[in-house]
Amino acid sequence: MDVPLYLRPRIDPPLASLLRAQTFLHSLVDALGSPLNVLLPEVVAENAERFRAVYRRHHLSGRVYFAHKANRSSALVRRLAAEDGAAVGIDVASLEELRHALGSGFTGDRIMATGPKDAEFLWLAARVGATVNLDSPGELEQLAGLVRGHGLGRVAVLVRLSGFESTAQGGTGTRLLARRSRFGTPVREAEVLLSALERHADAVELTGVAYHLDTTGVEEKARALEQCVLFMDECRARGLAPRAVDIGGGFGVGYLADAEEWERWTTALSEAVLGVRPPLTWRGHGYGLRNEGGTVRGTAALYPAHRPTAGPGYLDELLSLPAPVLGRPAATLLLEHLHDLYIEPGRALVDQSGLSLARVLDVRPAGEDLGQYLVRLGMNAGDMSLEEHGVLMDPVLLPRGEPGGDEEQEGPVGVYLAGNLCLEADLITRRLVHLPRLPRTGDLLAFANTSGYAMDFHAHHAQRQPLARTVAVEREGDSWRWCPDEDYWPITPPGGTTA
Amino acid sequence: MRYDSITEAIGNTPLVRIDPAVHGLRNIDLYAKLEMLNPFGSVKDRPAWHMARPHLEGADGEGTVVELSSGNTAKALALLAGMHGLKFRSVTNRMRVPEIKELLLLLGAEIEELPGRSECLDPTDTDDPLTHFHRALSDPDSTYLHTDQYFNPRNTEAHAAGTGPEIVKDLDGRVPDWFIACVGTAGSSTGVARVLREHDPAVRVLGLVAHKSDFIPGIRTIDEVHQVGLFDPGTYDTIESVTSGEAIDGMVTLIRRCGLLSGPTGGAAYQGAVRHLQDADAELDGTGERRTAVFIVCDRAESYLSYVRRRRPELLGQVNRGHTAASLTDAEAQAEARAIAVADARRWTAEGDPRPLVVDLRSPHAYAALHIEGSVNIVDEVFDELVRGGLPFSKRTPVLLACPVGEKSLRYAALLTRMGHPDVRSLAGGIVAWRDAGAPLVRE
Repeated sequence: MDVPLYLRPRIDPPLASLLRAQTFLHSLVDALGSPLNVLLPEVVAENAERFRAVYRRHHLSGRVYFAHKANRSSALVRRLAAEDGAAVGIDVASLEELRHALGSGFTGDRIMATGPKDAEFLWLAARVGATVNLDSPGELEQLAGLVRGHGLGRVAVLVRLSGFESTAQGGTGTRLLARRSRFGTPVREAEVLLSALERHADAVELTGVAYHLDTTGVEEKARALEQCVLFMDECRARGLAPRAVDIGGGFGVGYLADAEEWERWTTALSEAVLGVRPPLTWRGHGYGLRNEGGTVRGTAALYPAHRPTAGPGYLDELLSLPAPVLGRPAATLLLEHLHDLYIEPGRALVDQSGLSLARVLDVRPAGEDLGQYLVRLGMNAGDMSLEEHGVLMDPVLLPRGEPGGDEEQEGPVGVYLAGNLCLEADLITRRLVHLPRLPRTGDLLAFANTSGYAMDFHAHHAQRQPLARTVAVEREGDSWRWCPDEDYWPITPPGGTTA
Repeated sequence: MRYDSITEAIGNTPLVRIDPAVHGLRNIDLYAKLEMLNPFGSVKDRPAWHMARPHLEGADGEGTVVELSSGNTAKALALLAGMHGLKFRSVTNRMRVPEIKELLLLLGAEIEELPGRSECLDPTDTDDPLTHFHRALSDPDSTYLHTDQYFNPRNTEAHAAGTGPEIVKDLDGRVPDWFIACVGTAGSSTGVARVLREHDPAVRVLGLVAHKSDFIPGIRTIDEVHQVGLFDPGTYDTIESVTSGEAIDGMVTLIRRCGLLSGPTGGAAYQGAVRHLQDADAELDGTGERRTAVFIVCDRAESYLSYVRRRRPELLGQVNRGHTAASLTDAEAQAEARAIAVADARRWTAEGDPRPLVVDLRSPHAYAALHIEGSVNIVDEVFDELVRGGLPFSKRTPVLLACPVGEKSLRYAALLTRMGHPDVRSLAGGIVAWRDAGAPLVRE
């Protein structure tokens, strides 16, 4: 084998110390089954604080709203509910998420309702005094009708804008293209929305303007932010008094520790697609790249695993970027227009807060490929869905008991990780994963940093395979305490108070 | 020299020997092919003209020339399209060098910037803007004239017919022992290499690519070259990577020691050439043999000031002149400035004798949206310039400075105090505190 093409995950100290507690993790899986999700609720509170520190550096006020959809856990939501109410809120995208947030201790004024909404979702949000992030003029009509029909109080609303690229304000000659979005009201149609807001002033109060762009490009976001500031000005001129600009999420996570590993691997992927080196993937999957007459075509649909700036650092970069028309840095623009900043981080807020464990069920040579193995796990692709967005980092091998005895395979080895479904496509990752040694039946593989959109986003009951249980853990001296996710409350350590 | 059209001035660029005292190679003569002296400023003038010519001459003033380019090809095509009464549109990932973007706008180009990577990737997504672009090009009613520099064989031909033969002619019919080129579209390296090999198969061709995580204008990384249709690994005897640091080092050497106003791409070629040739040069010691090598200086330095500023600010070192708030430490600002709380400031502005001049340091747009009644707006950047020259108000006029949170205003208050103003105060907590205290703000 060539140099092993590792993609080793970035593991910060809290997660690293949990991974060293191998006996603890093995006993959890023995008791609760495989797969198993393990969460560190304290980490999300620390992440929220990191975002707050960026606010402070730029003198900005406003809330950090956790995008609940990134993870279903109760422990994470309850831990965030315990934070300063003026600083941390929650962004819910369904009726059940709203109920969950309320039941976890968030008061209505700290809740933002986003995404497509049905009448029940709108009614409950309005009833508890949540802010409704309006997707369309139609939704505004529906909400206003509910407020009047059911005698509800005036509801705080944000309007979600989109279509920033096609307005003329960005300077002539340059057009910044953007991906089409299903959500929000195009800026050029916002006039209709403003009239409707004025018409429904008895039922709703415009408190701010929102956008969320599906892009890693910081320039596009700076442009949208500035257009929101300009739009807020139009609102003020019409006598409305919005105060907040909600810039959504998409701050990103750096999953990989070492940039060079990512560069080596992506170069190797191009070469494999060209056929100048053996495939790196199951059945030569190209992650979107293909070979056309010796030239690589297509785009790699890979989450940029190594990101020099992500999360709070990305927010800082965005806030420091000069606005294309007014020329001032985005943070200055918000500050001097006296606007609050709302953000809705999901993935970035749960960064480093959890891992997914899977038991090794079977290890066998992978067909005719000498030296490669197929490792079957007690989990399936639905339980570890990072591959939906890109490429999964290497799992950490947690051997059962003492290593040793069987010396035949002690060097690095390439393995394919197969799931527990009776389905050809059920691979945890299509990538040939390199591990420092061959796992044995009974070992655990720990997938690090899976709290964001990975551990439970696509989990399902197909073939009646078990859904992963989720536990919250906390370090106590040299040992670890745990409790089921649903039993975690931020006032007592997991597992109850000690005598 | 008299021409009917500027396009006749494309090509026939000088081949200039680099002083051995600069590059330190004892047995190798190193020549620079000065493609930066083409009329539109770069090596791309040749392929741009050769690719666009059939389109332009048949277009009758109709249509739009399009190319995926954020640099020199776009520049050349914009000028060529303009000469023929056509429009030019550049479609690009992101203009990474702001001056070039502004220059293209000056030349009349339209720029379409593609969006960044999706944050929540959908591997099955076929709706990416580049796909739309290609679909628009292949529409039967399309009036787009696509020069397609990464795949168009005329790109390579321009160099096979021009650049390559010129080098051989200027070396008195001999082929250099090494040819060094940076790989962008691979047009120049492929075209020149083909001609040189036809004359003498012994020529060694070094292709330079950018270090993978790095960015050098006009050069692709080792992964990106695989996406170039004209790129054939067989063209090169060796492919090596260079960093932006090396590119700037080389550029500075060419500029400061050789009188060649090269941009970073030419700098990368020089630096990569010298680095590669050092071993061969050492082996030639004592043999009495001489060899020659040629590299390409692709374009000029002027468009890359921000590129240099970002990576080597010290090369553009600016000295502070006059009074500046930046020279004050936070502690000095705290110690030397007077701050005034909102309640006192409200009284002062209403009842003071004389009343203070209120200066709002925020941007005009923010000022227009909401401000303290009677205040004047001098945005901080302008204020900064004003105070460099001296006090912008009379010492007899008391001044209240206001910014968003009272931080910048405190610095300026300290600075003006240092400059001798007896009564300048900073609004504590700024306009934000003023608003939060319920004090009135008006809009224009």
